[in-house]
Amino acid sequence: MVNAIIMPKLNQSEDDCIIVKWRVKPGDKVKKNEILFEIETEKAVLEVESFYDGTLLKIVVPEGVATPVNATVAWVGEPGEKVPDVAPPPPAAAAPIPAPVAPAATKTQTAAAAPVAAVAVTAPVPFPSAAAPAPARRQAVSPRARALARNSAVSTDSIRGTGPGGRVVEKDVRAYLDSKGYGQLRITPAAKALALREKVDILTVRGTGDSGRIMTGDIERSLRERPRALSKMRQIIAQRLTQSVVTAPHFFVTVPVDMTDLLKFRHVLKTRGAPFSVTDFVLESVALSLVEFPAMNSSTDGKTARWHSAVHLGMATSLEDGLVVPVIRNAQDLSLAELHAAVVALAGKARDGKLLPDEMTGSTFTVSNMGMLNIENFTAIINPGESGILAVSSTVQTPVVRDGRIVVREVMKITLSSDHRLIDGAVAARFVNAIKSKLEDINLWKSLT
Amino acid sequence: MPNYLSNRKPDFTPHKINCGSIMAYQFKGTLKDELAAKHLTKARAIDLLEDMLVIREFEEMIVKLRSGAYAPCAGYDYRGPTHVSIGQEAASVGGCYGIDAPDYITSTHRGHGDSIAKGCVAIRAMSNEELRARVPAFKGKDADLLEAALEDHIYKTAAELFGKEDGYCRGRGGGMHIADFTVGHLGANAIVGGGVPISTGAAMACRYLENDRVVCCFAGDGAYANGIVLESLNWAAMQQFTNALAKDKKFGIPIIFLILNNHYGMTHRTDDEVMGVSSMARRAAGFADNNMHAEVVNGMDVLAVREAVNRAADGCRKGEGPFLIEVNTYRYYGHSLSDPRNEYRTKEEEEAWKVVDPITTFSQQLLDAKVLSKKGLEEVIKRVQDRNARACSRAAKAADPDPADVIKYMYTDTSSVEVPAPHNQVKLVKALPEIKRVDGQLTYRDAIKEAMIQEMLRDNRVFFYGEDVADYGGAFKATKGLLEAFGRRRIFNSPISEAAICSTAVGAAMLGLRPVVELMYMDFALMAGDAISNQAAKWHYMSGARAEIALVIRASVGGGKGYGGQHSQTLESVFAHIPGLYVVYPSTPHDAKGMLKAAIRNNNPVLFVESQLLYGVKGPVSEDDYLIPLGVADVKRVGSDISLVAWGPAVLDALKAADQLMTDHKISAEVVDLRSLVPLDMETVLTSVRKTGKCVVASQAISIGSFTGEIASNIMREAFDDLDAPVIRVGAKDGIAPQALCLEQVFLPTADDIYKAALSIL
Repeated sequence: MVNAIIMPKLNQSEDDCIIVKWRVKPGDKVKKNEILFEIETEKAVLEVESFYDGTLLKIVVPEGVATPVNATVAWVGEPGEKVPDVAPPPPAAAAPIPAPVAPAATKTQTAAAAPVAAVAVTAPVPFPSAAAPAPARRQAVSPRARALARNSAVSTDSIRGTGPGGRVVEKDVRAYLDSKGYGQLRITPAAKALALREKVDILTVRGTGDSGRIMTGDIERSLRERPRALSKMRQIIAQRLTQSVVTAPHFFVTVPVDMTDLLKFRHVLKTRGAPFSVTDFVLESVALSLVEFPAMNSSTDGKTARWHSAVHLGMATSLEDGLVVPVIRNAQDLSLAELHAAVVALAGKARDGKLLPDEMTGSTFTVSNMGMLNIENFTAIINPGESGILAVSSTVQTPVVRDGRIVVREVMKITLSSDHRLIDGAVAARFVNAIKSKLEDINLWKSLT
Repeated sequence: MPNYLSNRKPDFTPHKINCGSIMAYQFKGTLKDELAAKHLTKARAIDLLEDMLVIREFEEMIVKLRSGAYAPCAGYDYRGPTHVSIGQEAASVGGCYGIDAPDYITSTHRGHGDSIAKGCVAIRAMSNEELRARVPAFKGKDADLLEAALEDHIYKTAAELFGKEDGYCRGRGGGMHIADFTVGHLGANAIVGGGVPISTGAAMACRYLENDRVVCCFAGDGAYANGIVLESLNWAAMQQFTNALAKDKKFGIPIIFLILNNHYGMTHRTDDEVMGVSSMARRAAGFADNNMHAEVVNGMDVLAVREAVNRAADGCRKGEGPFLIEVNTYRYYGHSLSDPRNEYRTKEEEEAWKVVDPITTFSQQLLDAKVLSKKGLEEVIKRVQDRNARACSRAAKAADPDPADVIKYMYTDTSSVEVPAPHNQVKLVKALPEIKRVDGQLTYRDAIKEAMIQEMLRDNRVFFYGEDVADYGGAFKATKGLLEAFGRRRIFNSPISEAAICSTAVGAAMLGLRPVVELMYMDFALMAGDAISNQAAKWHYMSGARAEIALVIRASVGGGKGYGGQHSQTLESVFAHIPGLYVVYPSTPHDAKGMLKAAIRNNNPVLFVESQLLYGVKGPVSEDDYLIPLGVADVKRVGSDISLVAWGPAVLDALKAADQLMTDHKISAEVVDLRSLVPLDMETVLTSVRKTGKCVVASQAISIGSFTGEIASNIMREAFDDLDAPVIRVGAKDGIAPQALCLEQVFLPTADDIYKAALSIL
């Protein structure tokens, strides 16, 4: 059984690839998953493995020639089997890219020096030593070709250009449409109109109508699946949180907090007309603890550490499609009542989209409270420029061993994420326990209210 | 048989050349004398004063407007120039009263006075019917008609200065280009000296039309240093108009060169700084053996100016022109209001001139002669002030032009459809030259000749001049034989004065003639840059479409003959950049004939480009009287794969390239001959490009700034989505035409260049 070895399409936008090195030569035994050759794409040099056991019967495409993807580059079979008489595909580019890239070549030479020499002799590279490969450029498409593709509701991404400099010209689009059986494509006029309006490539749409006719619904389905740009807010979130995860090595410390007494006291306060929230208590505890642990109220750029004398507490607040972090300034100086007022005011502004830029910058530590969302525990990603963030989970009735007896208590887990560049485990543990002990110290709250 | 052969033998006999003498200030008359001699009536004397007062009042208004001090236009912000002529009123009024009402003038950037005076004289000479026609909105008594027309004149003058739609030129020209063709005012000219050749051409037209009219050409002393003015003086004095060459039409050009010598060209002193003569009148001695009857008159004395101009006009009507009168006068203000004057002249000088102020002195004469009482004089002054105030306050409030009309009036869409009598009666002097047709074919050269003959036979208003076009038949023989057939009245040699050739044609066209002029090499068109670009091209628009400048300038491109940098340029792109001008460049004998005929009949100025490489090219040309409309491109070869757009000789190269593309590659190229750059037929080009998707634009011009870029840019904008490749331009190398054969061969574009350009995008 003779099998064709095909130039793989490893990348959606790749039209041509160059074999920079054959690892085997005709007559060599090859095994399934054995590396046959290396190809160079726009992004990297990659190794291509065999899908078959057998003998390499013939190399069709030598090294150094840009070759269309899906073209046959070699044949594998049993020794003596006849290879189908297929001409090698025409080189894709007018000026083939000259030498194999250095790293792959070096690697190959050290690994298998002899066969490489043999291949080089038996398959001389038929191209001139032209200039270095041109930098990757956007595929040129003539306006006329682009208009034809647009009016046909197809994308030019997969069309090979044969015009000057490899430009896709009108006849390339026509050839592409013919090759894709565009003429036989069935589509309702309404679907075509929608596809044209919404620039949907109808060659990528599976028709669900009679005999595969593309219906309006098919185009709509395709539209729903289409990538959509992130909102500006989400893009900023993506950028900042990725930055945090990439630059700040996170570690996590979780403690359960017994909230039973504080919740009872909160109820009492509420009946007295002082409606403090769990968030208020957590923020106050964090502010007090940060004063005790200045390391947790600092930031680093990886080279220097900067301690902040004031506690500016960020308060992660979720919105319809994203989140913002309004900042309570100088939280260490605020009474519990003032803190409460600040939280209410900022949360309101956040929901109404009325936060000023000044009110969303400069936090030194952040608290993210998901207690109202019925979760047991979670970890948060540090706001860039801070050394930690506290994740506050839901308060759950939990069996707890107390004085040797199992009792039911209101337990809330809090998890501290710390930037390991600044904070070590012991500090994190002491800090998170400092918060815990404050929340559990009912006398403290009595003194504060 | 040649028309005329020179036969002058060498003669070196010692002798003395007598330059004659020029008289100055000979007029001794007073108002009393003039009245007694019946040289004018009392009423006429009052008119002279009144019109000087109108000018003074008008220009003092301009001065006051700049500081908000003119009460009738309080709050109006005047933004135009302030070249006032206060002090020179006697020159304007004396000049305009010295000629007859239907005569012509041209004026200058300091021309409010000339314009106002010309209008006043014309209006005062009008019958009631003519006045009614001039102010149709006025429904009052006949007794008030004159007053209404005078007020309307000031209103339209002010409205023009103020840039209003009601202005004489619809606010397109402004004060520096004001004109009223209905009263013979052929335009003020903001190019110093620009009006002088126009006057000369207009006077030449008066001679041609035998209409008994004269032209008074107002121009300042500063202008008499300018080349075009000196060319004009020479032109007007050409002996061929008065000697045996003129046969029974011996008649000097009826022009009066009235030099408004106010002693300053802007701020420089023409008296003892930038010129070499003590009196501007001496200029005349350099151009005519009779010194153009030159004299110097007291420009502060309206009677002296009027008398001298009147005498000159009489002489002109007898065929004794040209005349030159230096009018010694003074402008009290500076070049404009921003000129404080103290950098170049003394206060004492100014005061001395004010002592002889034309208005005060003439007012005194009117009192002395008892033509006016003190009270009567005050009434005249009051009448003028009130009239000006009414007219100018109305002008300040008048409607502005519609901004949507910003380029309206650039071109006229009219042409000569029918030739009115008597111009359709053409007499030949001799038989027409024979034009040899072989198998229905003519050379490009003969096609041009046939077009000229047909149009000159059709319309007496068509006449032709240029360098060596008469006896010699033109440097390239395109008009050989025409002189013999039509006579020297209609075909004559010009001096080597390209600027005057083109600018006199503008003046002749303003009087309704249809001149065709030739520039032997297109390179010389640059000598006529002002004539073509500022005068011919702009007058239709600047006059608010009150004038049509129907003229044809034939310009021959010399490239390809080893004539080097100053005789080989393809310059049509330069002139296509000038709005107001038509620019055409036919490539075949058939097109050359039909387009030249259309150009001659068109009422726009047409630059008709020919190529010396094409004169010998043969092609089928019908004997018929056919026209090829200007602004219509022609598909010279139908094709489907690529469009080759070209004009001029490049069309022939494009056709060769198309053959080669078919032979070598089975590529079907379409060749579009643009034929006309302005107006531009983009539709034919776009239709072709939309079909083929690929385009090469070729001309013989260098590519920097070439019109090929304009075509490419239009294609890009209008047919972007139809393009399958970038539009490629082919032209000469971006340099100066060389003399050496081997260099010129690589300099000029070839069929092979077009062929290769096509292949590069196929």
